[in-house]
Amino acid sequence: MKAVLGLLAGRLAISTLVLAGVSVLIFGIARVIPGNPARIALGPNATKEQVAKLAAELHLDEPIWIQYGHFVRDLSRGELGISLYTNRPVTTDIAQFLPATLELVLIAGILMIGIGLPLGMVAAKYRGGFVDNLVRIVSLLGVSAPSFVWAVILMLLFAFYLPLFPIAGRIDTEFAIEHVTGFLLVDSLIAGEFRAFGNAMWHLFLPAFALSLSGIGQAARLTRANMVETYEKPYIEMARSYGFPAWRIARRYAFKPSLIPSLTIIGLDFAAMLGNAFLVEAIFAWPGLSRYGVAVILRKDLNAIVGTVLIISAAFLIANLIVDLLIALLNPRIRYARSAR
Amino acid sequence: MTRMALEISDLRLSFEGITETTEVLHGISLSVAPEERVALVGESGSGKSVTARAVLGLLQSQKRVRMSGRIEFEGQDLAAMTSRQRQALRGSRLSMIFQDPVSSLNPVYRIQTQFHEVLKRDDPSISLEDAKRRIRPMLSEVSIAEPDRVLESFPFQLSGGMNQRVMIAMALINEPSLLIADEPGTALDVTVQDQTLRLMRRLVERRRAAVLFISHNLGIVREFSDRIYVIHTGRIVEEGPTDAVFANPGHPYTRALLAAVPRITGGDIPEIDENPSAYEAPRVVHAPAAGVA
Amino acid sequence: MTRTVRIILSSPLSITGVLLIGFVVLSAVFADLVTPFPEHSGTVVDFAKLNQPPQWPNIMGTDLVGRDLFSRIIFAYRISLVLGVVVLVLAVPTGVTIGLVAGYLGGWPRFVLMRTTDVFLSIPPLVLAMSIMGVLEPTLMNGMIAVTVMWWPWYSRLVYNIVLAEREEGYVLAAEIIGASRLHIMFREILPNCFPAIITKMTLDLGFVILIASSLSFLGLGVQPPTPDLGSMVAEGAKYLPDSWWLTVFPGLAILIAVFGFNLLGDALRDILGNEQ
Repeated sequence: MKAVLGLLAGRLAISTLVLAGVSVLIFGIARVIPGNPARIALGPNATKEQVAKLAAELHLDEPIWIQYGHFVRDLSRGELGISLYTNRPVTTDIAQFLPATLELVLIAGILMIGIGLPLGMVAAKYRGGFVDNLVRIVSLLGVSAPSFVWAVILMLLFAFYLPLFPIAGRIDTEFAIEHVTGFLLVDSLIAGEFRAFGNAMWHLFLPAFALSLSGIGQAARLTRANMVETYEKPYIEMARSYGFPAWRIARRYAFKPSLIPSLTIIGLDFAAMLGNAFLVEAIFAWPGLSRYGVAVILRKDLNAIVGTVLIISAAFLIANLIVDLLIALLNPRIRYARSAR
Repeated sequence: MTRMALEISDLRLSFEGITETTEVLHGISLSVAPEERVALVGESGSGKSVTARAVLGLLQSQKRVRMSGRIEFEGQDLAAMTSRQRQALRGSRLSMIFQDPVSSLNPVYRIQTQFHEVLKRDDPSISLEDAKRRIRPMLSEVSIAEPDRVLESFPFQLSGGMNQRVMIAMALINEPSLLIADEPGTALDVTVQDQTLRLMRRLVERRRAAVLFISHNLGIVREFSDRIYVIHTGRIVEEGPTDAVFANPGHPYTRALLAAVPRITGGDIPEIDENPSAYEAPRVVHAPAAGVA
Repeated sequence: MTRTVRIILSSPLSITGVLLIGFVVLSAVFADLVTPFPEHSGTVVDFAKLNQPPQWPNIMGTDLVGRDLFSRIIFAYRISLVLGVVVLVLAVPTGVTIGLVAGYLGGWPRFVLMRTTDVFLSIPPLVLAMSIMGVLEPTLMNGMIAVTVMWWPWYSRLVYNIVLAEREEGYVLAAEIIGASRLHIMFREILPNCFPAIITKMTLDLGFVILIASSLSFLGLGVQPPTPDLGSMVAEGAKYLPDSWWLTVFPGLAILIAVFGFNLLGDALRDILGNEQ
């Protein structure tokens, strides 16, 4: 356990370093904007003085490293500045929109793991056969379309032609759930409103499934590939020589050891989902970070762009930390790295 | 004649490739009497490991494999059994020791879990505690001084020799009547290999198990086995009691193998002159020594 | 090489891939000849045929200003392919060089280069491209730049990992002993051993670049009208679901077909080239 904590501390340090790098990168990108952001924010009718005043407020008249210094100082106080689009603190905006996006991504992640890994396992067990080829085609199709295309197709099929699922939104308007965490699934349980919970789940399913399809495909392909490799290992033959049932060998001898290399990539797929959520949210009118993100990008709202990207990157780094932790827990080599022989 | 532990007659086996079919066994016949230790000796690629896997029934389920001939285990025809029946034999009546002990144990489970799985083959409801109670004396038989520490360990935490002993104990804990040993310990260094072979010999004698010992190394085989089959490119070229084969090797290939025995036991795969035409000489059979088979 | 071709042609899945790619590439190259209304790739309005469902001669229907959807999709392929090729031509050499240098030299170059790579990989790809596009004006050129900036790190990570394994190989040591220059060892000895993995990834990526580019334009951050683009066609059409379904379904399927083709071929290449390593 000590080894795991040590490893985690190391990863946390690296992640912090990387996040600092991300902030520099995004800050750099945001400051090469052609045109004066103050002018864009105030519109064409503002006077020169008004523009200069806002530019000074935003420290736009100072050298870029001083601007970055201001940014870091604000960040250390938990401030990301004021959004020129909403005229509210960026942190407030993000706190309002992020939970809806995270809820969507988390459910999609669960679908990805819950469907993708078993599909890959079945394909590997029947490798070379019909089932394997079927899974290969399905998972290749899954990764071959952007999630907004799946969103459109699923919506047409299961919301319009077969009206099984709702077309838009997070929950029906008849449910008024008190805002505690912003996660409707959590808030509805806190309020003890199980019907609201079910309703929120019902709204979540189609967008989450559309979002997860490429992840499902990736996870299935990866699991299959790693398992097929593991199936060549001597301990599989040994397990066979002991006459263990084929499914037991698949689960305990081929799947579990090959889960470790698969997990790293699954972490990356999770990252991709944080971005792809933007595409699905647009189709299902999901009140998440997407509309806000696109709006602030189109309006060149510097503080909001930097803040949004930083928060998403932080969420991604946290997801990867969790993956690292899981790997350490699954892999005895890491867990017991420092215990004596 | 007593009922054989293992009797293989005219076993032919080929692998179907994309374009052609490769025949790897051209009619192998061999037998192992109860409690007898028989060696199958040949170079890598001679078909000895394939024979072992065919006996275990590990190849029959593969689509690319074509097999004919007869394999009888304790008088029962393996081909006549369902795959479920064959599976039931493995790990209980029939078990196998593999070449590389470290990679043959599952890296993500503790030794005790893996032992427990093996014991469940005989007694599906056995608890971990009962299993450990049965494993401890077995581990001390293979000279493992701290059985509990070893049971708690993962394979990578133990040395190669230790893993090898664990594997031997695992193979014998269900009291199989036939043990197949595929180049045991070749992956280990020479002294460790020697120790483990002695250990294995003592154990199989005590447990009255028959052994089919597969090796490329005649030096090791001489110390270990009662009888020898020499296999070359899928054919048995010479067979007989160990002493007789060593005293008077009849087949050119056997003579070449003997000339290539490393001075100390173990070492690398012997280098043998390519002399295929001479090796096609007819099979040499030595008269069985009195009292055996 | 002939062996690779032979194996590809022996599997129905990879043949399908080759056929799909062939269809996409050939129709894009000869778009002027194969489309019924090549002039509809630009600003054309046909009030007689606004928003028509599929019917002859508009086999995929017409858009809101009466342009033939099939013609526009084929012309959109042309732009997607150009974009994909340009992005890979820029991103692959950059990423490969960085991965080679970091992996072979080690030390501080590795620290600086791979940590930089990590920074780029820590921003979800689409979000990175979006923020770059947001800052720049949405044009085809800038779209290529944005996607290139998000793409090179994957190649430096890939090559870096291969180099770490290869530099321990005997042939590298042999070259070092006879005093070959570092440049020679990196580009003449190690790089050729990375080719199978790079080629496989490039085949897959040609599809994924098309996918990402369409995602950007779907969000309004890519190629601008009237230039035909699959992503913006879906975005535009999504407002008219479910009645004018053809506006979204056909451009969406067009993306799927192209990317699926590259995936099928890349998958087959991975099986073949992977086994040869």
